Amino acid sequence: MSSRLPPAALSLRQFLLRQQVLSLYRRILQAVRQIPDPADRRYMKDWARDEFRRNQTASEEITIRMMISQGLQQVQELERALKLARS
Amino acid sequence: MASRALCVCVRAALRPLPRRSVAALSGAVCRQRSTLSTHAQPTPLLSKQVSSYLYKSCRQYSEGPPLTLESIAERVLYLTVNSHFMKDLGLDSLDQVEIIMAIEDEFGFEIPDADGEKLMTPQEIVDYIADKQDVYE
Repeated sequence: MSSRLPPAALSLRQFLLRQQVLSLYRRILQAVRQIPDPADRRYMKDWARDEFRRNQTASEEITIRMMISQGLQQVQELERALKLARS
Repeated sequence: MASRALCVCVRAALRPLPRRSVAALSGAVCRQRSTLSTHAQPTPLLSKQVSSYLYKSCRQYSEGPPLTLESIAERVLYLTVNSHFMKDLGLDSLDQVEIIMAIEDEFGFEIPDADGEKLMTPQEIVDYIADKQDVYE
């Protein structure tokens, strides 16, 4: 049975990875938004955006997974720091 | 007498106007002229008003159709509130996330992931915000 999907369609795994990347990006931006200092906020936002753009073309699943877990660690660290700063 | 002579001239000018030359011209002039010629053929006598109109539109030798404010606006503002972020505006999914975040900042409420990724045109965002914030007409 031939697939009715267009050739450029993502496989399920790729689709799920993509969702993970997008939700990570969202989470990072949300965390960055809470940074009190405007200059720092701007710097971090630019950094996050550049980082995602730079690795936009990565296509290997292992690489992407590794980068996602790195990003998760960093965002958790950031969230912890923000929580400490607020308390 | 003068108007009669003008009529004769115009009829002579109208006759060598074949279909294909009409088709070769583009834009508004083409539309004007084709409606004109279909109008003009069944009526043997042309009014003076129509003939002067035709005379004016015949005077374009190598120029394109004249620009009007509407045609310029249409050609420049080909984007509308219904333009798709990815298909029409050339943005990608990261940009789309940023747009949704900016909208959250602007309106001060949170858009869940599942809803945010469906909003793909400005109009959809407007409708969504109006829906969530209970704004009705």
